[in-house]
Amino acid sequence: MGSFKLGGMTFGSLFKKPETVLYPVVTKTAPAGLKGHIVNDASLCILCGICQKTCPCHAIEVDKKARTWAIDPFRCVQCGSCARACPKACLAMEPTYTPVAAVQAVTVVEVPDPKAAAE
Amino acid sequence: MGKATVIPFGPQHPVLPEPLHLDLVVEDEKVIEAIPQIGFVHRGLEKLVETRDYNQFIYVAERICGICAMGHSLGYAETVESLMGVEVPKRAQYLRVIWHELSRIHSHLLWLGLAADAFGFESMFMHCWRLRERVLDIFEKTTGGRVILSVVKVGGVVRDIDDAQMAEVIATLDGIVDDYTKIMNTLLTDASVKNRTVDVGYISHDEALALSMVGPFARASAVGYDVRSFGRGAYGDLSDFQPITDDGGDCFARVKVRCLEVLQSIEIVKELAAKIPVGDIEVAVKGAPAAGAQASNVLEQPRGECYYYARGNGTKNLERMRMRTPTSQNLAGMTKALAGCDLADVNMIILTIDPCISCTER
Amino acid sequence: MARFSQEFTPLAADAIHEDAAARKADGWRYVQTLAVNTEDGIDLIYSYMRDGLLENRIVKALPPHATVPSVTDEFLAAFVFENEIHDLFGISFEGLAIDFGGNFYRVAQPEPMTIISPELKAAREKAAKLAAAKAAKAERAEKAGEAQAEFLAAHPEAKAAGTGAGKVLKPSDDEAVEAKLAGMDPEKVARVRAAIAAKAKKAAEAEQAAKDAELEAKLAAMDPEKAAKVRAAMEAKAARAAAAGAKEGE
Repeated sequence: MGSFKLGGMTFGSLFKKPETVLYPVVTKTAPAGLKGHIVNDASLCILCGICQKTCPCHAIEVDKKARTWAIDPFRCVQCGSCARACPKACLAMEPTYTPVAAVQAVTVVEVPDPKAAAE
Repeated sequence: MGKATVIPFGPQHPVLPEPLHLDLVVEDEKVIEAIPQIGFVHRGLEKLVETRDYNQFIYVAERICGICAMGHSLGYAETVESLMGVEVPKRAQYLRVIWHELSRIHSHLLWLGLAADAFGFESMFMHCWRLRERVLDIFEKTTGGRVILSVVKVGGVVRDIDDAQMAEVIATLDGIVDDYTKIMNTLLTDASVKNRTVDVGYISHDEALALSMVGPFARASAVGYDVRSFGRGAYGDLSDFQPITDDGGDCFARVKVRCLEVLQSIEIVKELAAKIPVGDIEVAVKGAPAAGAQASNVLEQPRGECYYYARGNGTKNLERMRMRTPTSQNLAGMTKALAGCDLADVNMIILTIDPCISCTER
Repeated sequence: MARFSQEFTPLAADAIHEDAAARKADGWRYVQTLAVNTEDGIDLIYSYMRDGLLENRIVKALPPHATVPSVTDEFLAAFVFENEIHDLFGISFEGLAIDFGGNFYRVAQPEPMTIISPELKAAREKAAKLAAAKAAKAERAEKAGEAQAEFLAAHPEAKAAGTGAGKVLKPSDDEAVEAKLAGMDPEKVARVRAAIAAKAKKAAEAEQAAKDAELEAKLAAMDPEKAAKVRAAMEAKAARAAAAGAKEGE
């Protein structure tokens, strides 16, 4: 039997903190800037459609007539180019992943009409 | 006189990170010749330039391969910048190289784990991937993604690493070095590892040149070619860069070259982090590539030299984008190394070219 | 340490094999082969590298389904690319060392990279239109410039009007005016442009006069001592401007 070269490391790991976390009892805090999912602040959105043109996956659909902004989180690859291209900074990347679901669903946001609100 | 049997290897095999099929013509446990077959992961990504403009295509280029994601986005961005004559600010160049070298560290650690697993050393596989997790944590903190970073864009980078984060990166790398040195020591001096890798899959220096091999696969046969020694971008500001070569020419030499490259990359990241200049991280890119303009570019990915070619047609969509990855270049070398080996060594030899078949087929 | 540089040089289709053989003897390293599907045919690009020089040899406009000699007898590593080009573009290679006979990539449609999708067709048409419009504009600008030079030589006072207003006569970006002028006689075009410049100068002078009047009104309303100081400052500024203008005129 040859020398047990990893012996030191193996013995030491009996006493050191494990490399893994006891998920789901303990969860890792998501670092800032984690690419989770896109949210839209409807009060700032002007439905210009620039995010729709920038998206490489065609995940965003902007309907100016119906005043809705829709994103398919299952098509989105969390690249963040829509958030960077938005002229009104209403799109943001939240650091939580889209939860697992049994059915793929599109997230629709209703954008209120500022003219109607002013009346 | 044995009878020749053809044993199919792959496309699914525990040792392969990506699907590759080989028809091994075997005579009494000795492989006479091996005929490779790829095409299981061909997604036709190069044709997507027709529907995605040059800014959107970088996300397609990244997803060619999970292990070399940073390399492909960097190479693509550099090629398009060369096509359009865009000069990237210094800080962005440094950040790109830091992320690329971290990507090399993670790729080599992944490979060392797989190589150990190929001859049955599973605990080594676990240790290497445990250390790799720390590098992936660095990626997560600095870019927001573990594997697909999406941090490079045409004209610079998207995010900055501030001084506090940079210090954290260096501290993590320092924490890796201790454990990694023990692992490396085991891999390079243990008798059982040597039994499985020394004199296995030998390729001489002349054969390596004749077969146009690239990357650590070639550097283990004393071919001293490394794109980083051209000194472009932030690589030019390194005080001293020498490609790591070894003249063993066998699997053991390839393991040794990759082991030492991890330490070299850690030194490069530390040096660049200390020297990084203050400045912009991006420059605005307007317009489209001129019709008929063409540009080519080479980049040293973890697996070797990767060649990129772009041609413009006057619109925002490129006319042609081509990525020639190092593994496609090395397939001929692999076929040659497999001829005359033992059947039990096939795993190890295939792994030593670090096959990234997703890159080969796009 | 070698520096990296790249070149694109043309190559004739029948010289592919002897070029490869010459480079192998010379110590060049084979890098890759790629194909581009263009409107005129299929371009093949062979790349070789030595001492940091990356040379890309382009074989232009091969007809579809052309046959080309293979370089795998010189560089075995080329078999991957040549099989790929055969499956995706339809170019056949003679003498392939490892020939998969069209089964390298088992694609759903034969030669998929040569299929022109509707998006690619639209992009190419748009690029062609843009290029034509650019060429036409450049031609018009050249003609107008020539005519103007002629006109100015014959009518020196027009030049004074041009520089006095500080405006340079150049083809305007106004599409409607351009369209009209494009149809007219070049000399007439130059006269029309001179007239526009003169009109602009008068408008600028009128604006300046209005501003001066406003300023006078303000000064009259201010404290007399302060008004005198302001006037002195304005005169000094005017003197400096005149000196600068005289210098520019030289």
